[in-house]
Amino acid sequence: MANKRAAKLVAIGVIVAGTLVAESRKEYHFAVGPRAGVSVMNPYGSIWVKPSLNNTVVVNAVLHSDKVEVDNSQNGNRVDIQSHLLAGADSDSGRVDYEVLVPADASITLHSSTGSLRAEKLHGDVSLEGAGAEVDVRDVSDAHVHVKTMNGPVNLDNIQNGHVEVDSLSGEVTMRGVNGPLVQVVSTSGKINYIGDFGNSGEYRLTSHSGDIEATIPEWTSADVSARSVRGEVHDDIPLQPKNHTWFPVDKGRAFAGTMGRVAVSSTVVLRTFSGKIHLRKRSENK
Amino acid sequence: MNCVELQQSLAEVEDGSSLEQRAHLRACPACSALVNELNLIVAAAGELQAAEEPSPRVWNSIEFALRQEGLIRPQRPLVPSFSARWGAARWLVPMAAMLLLALGIYVRRESLPNQMAQQASVAVPAANSSDLNDADLMQEVVDNEPAMKTQYAENLRQVNESIRDAQGVVDESPNDEDARRSLMDAYQQKSMLFQMAMDRSLP
Repeated sequence: MANKRAAKLVAIGVIVAGTLVAESRKEYHFAVGPRAGVSVMNPYGSIWVKPSLNNTVVVNAVLHSDKVEVDNSQNGNRVDIQSHLLAGADSDSGRVDYEVLVPADASITLHSSTGSLRAEKLHGDVSLEGAGAEVDVRDVSDAHVHVKTMNGPVNLDNIQNGHVEVDSLSGEVTMRGVNGPLVQVVSTSGKINYIGDFGNSGEYRLTSHSGDIEATIPEWTSADVSARSVRGEVHDDIPLQPKNHTWFPVDKGRAFAGTMGRVAVSSTVVLRTFSGKIHLRKRSENK
Repeated sequence: MNCVELQQSLAEVEDGSSLEQRAHLRACPACSALVNELNLIVAAAGELQAAEEPSPRVWNSIEFALRQEGLIRPQRPLVPSFSARWGAARWLVPMAAMLLLALGIYVRRESLPNQMAQQASVAVPAANSSDLNDADLMQEVVDNEPAMKTQYAENLRQVNESIRDAQGVVDESPNDEDARRSLMDAYQQKSMLFQMAMDRSLP
């Protein structure tokens, strides 16, 4: 019995040691100027971007095997990082996890197939793309935020004054406190959740073919709202001032259109789905 | 023969071996150097190893991207020339065309009111999902991201279904702006799916 336990411990030790030997860490530093561009292409693995304290880009990479390398280059104010898969690499052995510190005003482009993509506390443009990648963007202001995923979930949290464009085929898209001149989400079957106040004088277009759309807003929101589900149903918990004219037939239960709050600062909100449900909910909260 | 004529003549006899070319080359060191360089390039090109050519995958990727962009179309099979196939009977074709034209004018006069009623549907996007080759997409995924095959297949199925749904409503109600937007969105989503698959296949 004791021999068996010892053999197990040895086997586990060998596996752990092998993993530690195969895993390696790399660190790169790049001095950049204002509004630098940073691009990270990583087929397998996560990328987490945070602000640095000075005009430096710091890249910490954890390579999970020797079948992948990190290629890096700097061209003026632009830094490019790429995971270079060597022969025989797969989604496990080709994995690299990155933590990247960039100046807060840098524009970033992140690409991963399967790893999670995360960016926070920045005010430069953010472009994230990944087929199955989970995307998380938070505390970004005065910037373009572009996200493309196939089925990875997308979470946007506290995006202020943003130009936000999200394209997702089947991933769920959740936005909390997202506002700006343009907020646009297009999905095929993913659910879209918006929790916020639709800002001031912005344009909000949330569209899903078969996914449900749910917007939860405070009663004091100022917005011109149009909602329509071609084959599904719509629900509206908030009294709207009906509009005299709409570009679509307002069939009861299938569409609604109206205004709420102060017209002078109201945003345009269009909620559209083909066969999903639309629900405009009231958030019980004082301003 | 002057220098310009010699350079033009190289399109016919590229090694400068004709009588007139040789006469000019003997008297003109500049053209002689040019012909020597051309001969050197031709000789060197023949010695290039097949291994130095880009892999077929590169050409496939380029062709795939160009097809998706609509810049090239699949080549049609070569057919024998028209005159070779029809010989003396080829004069029948313009005659048949004229008859068809006359018939068309007659039919159009008879059916004009009906045609006007259907005109709105002409403005609807005429493309269908089969324009984008789904098999090519899945092959790219299998080659480059085999682990993602099931996810791509499922999303492709969903987006094709959304195209069919939206197209159905557009056909029923061509003036329904929402349905038209839904159709456009569905095509854009499909385009994005192809883009994602292609991104992984490029070097």
